[in-house]
Amino acid sequence: MSLDAFIAERQARWAALEAAIKTAKRGRLRNQPASDIERFGLLLRQTSSDLAIARRDHPDAPITEYLNALCARAHPLLYRGRPWRFGAVGPFFATALPRSFRAAWPYIVTSLALMVIGFIAGWVAVFVRPDLRASLVPPSLFDEMARGQIGSGVQDAPFAAAFIIQNNIRVALICFAGGMLLGIPTAFILVTNGWMLGTVAAAVALGGYNYQFWSLIVPHGILELSVIVISGGTGLMLGDAILRPGQLRRTEALARVAVRAVMLVLGAASLLVIAGILETFVSPSTLPGGVKLAIGGSVGLILYSWLLLAGRSPRRRRVSAFDRPAETPA
Amino acid sequence: MDSSQLDTISVKTSDNVTLGYSVAGLGSRLVAQILDNLIALPLTLVAILLYGALASVFVTSSEGAGFAGAGAGFFAGFVYFGYFFVAEAVTGGKTPGKSAMGLRVIRVDGSAADFGALAVRNVIRVVDVVVLLIGIVVMFFQPQTRRLGDLGAGTIVVRDRAMVTLAAAVAPPPIILRTPDAGPPIDGIDRIGGFERDALRVFLSRPGLSQKLRAELAADISMRLFDRLGIPTGAPERLWPPELFIERVYLQLDQRHP
Repeated sequence: MSLDAFIAERQARWAALEAAIKTAKRGRLRNQPASDIERFGLLLRQTSSDLAIARRDHPDAPITEYLNALCARAHPLLYRGRPWRFGAVGPFFATALPRSFRAAWPYIVTSLALMVIGFIAGWVAVFVRPDLRASLVPPSLFDEMARGQIGSGVQDAPFAAAFIIQNNIRVALICFAGGMLLGIPTAFILVTNGWMLGTVAAAVALGGYNYQFWSLIVPHGILELSVIVISGGTGLMLGDAILRPGQLRRTEALARVAVRAVMLVLGAASLLVIAGILETFVSPSTLPGGVKLAIGGSVGLILYSWLLLAGRSPRRRRVSAFDRPAETPA
Repeated sequence: MDSSQLDTISVKTSDNVTLGYSVAGLGSRLVAQILDNLIALPLTLVAILLYGALASVFVTSSEGAGFAGAGAGFFAGFVYFGYFFVAEAVTGGKTPGKSAMGLRVIRVDGSAADFGALAVRNVIRVVDVVVLLIGIVVMFFQPQTRRLGDLGAGTIVVRDRAMVTLAAAVAPPPIILRTPDAGPPIDGIDRIGGFERDALRVFLSRPGLSQKLRAELAADISMRLFDRLGIPTGAPERLWPPELFIERVYLQLDQRHP
């Protein structure tokens, strides 16, 4: 077919496809009637086939470049992942998040191990060199505990909560993003957080303030540290995909892991809102220490029941033809 | 359309047709970034001012002022980076800056960038920007100008603007004419028609012919035209330069066979 005849015969549908691209709002076809979307698919397939013919017969003609650009613009309108909807938030927290938590267990265990290493190192450091305690642990903390001031509440609590929540979400997202630098910043954050807790805990133990201290940490700390450990795990997932991509190219291995990891870290980070509210209104409150510890323990129990149990597929009883009760002759 | 070019990526679609996407360059991406900053930075400033106004009304203690100050700083960061995420998520991969530059985020398999991919590339944006602008360095060396966030998300920024319009693509190639007028009527012009006109157009629209070759071809074509038109030896048309003669025949045919 000559180029002129090819164009004359088919240019109407190219113009129709171009017009259909223009009607797509915000890069989506979602709001259009089904018949229009069906027609869009037909036009795109026909035009792609025209592009293949044009490539073969007229590789240098301007029309080939035009058809390629047209198909390239139309293709992402039709081919796309599942769209995000508000209705998907419920099932995400009910099943998808606990499932991806369990699927990521080796990374989360590693992340926890890094934090525990930091904690032990900090603890040992304070016991080996008690003279360094003053530089490791703010002395004001001891003054407050000695005076029994802990439990006096926080002033301007809403701003304190906003500060704490934002800071922790920031740390969680940096733990994830640090995965792009082989997870080195992620590991650093995990170890230093463990170290800080370890030094303070050791100093507190030496001073004999264990009960006051832990009643101040536990109510929000279990949730908060769990989220940081999970976030650290997502960063380690990225780092591992870069370091050990297996049979895939590094970029492919990374992209496969990253979308799962980001949903895990975003879901986990949203729990920091709860942790921040506990940290502002429960941990420093005048409640008795036992109540605070009980609240922290309950939060931990609920958190891990959900993370470990939610979204498991029920263990089905195996049913086979042999299980059918033998037909008894009448 | 050469798919082996560095600045295009080839995507094989489910219809088994290879599409070439032209990859956005470092320059246009940086300009898009600057344009976006013209929106994001004032937005961030407004966010800080609002946070400060709220704090100045409600904060009662010096401890609270410290929390409010640090909190405002974090809030500014969330608003700044959030701008890019929200803008991309709402528009399907085109922040206002990218839109102005005709750029769009897609996934490397040619499909639209979904929520998860946009979340990845925008959380990692923090590393790209904060760690010594490492994103620009990576984009400089990465053959497809992808930053770390793009590598993590499996996305790529491509040119979304149509380079060739349908009208321009189907229009016949321009004709190279040296004479603006059709000249005096040529005898026997009614002996030939649209077919010859198209053949002459192919010759006249041929770019890049050397002067010598063009003159030789013109001499050959005009000899054939003299025969077809029955122009006698010694007629004035035979004295015109061959290229001028061909152009006049073409223009006169074009008038008669629109």
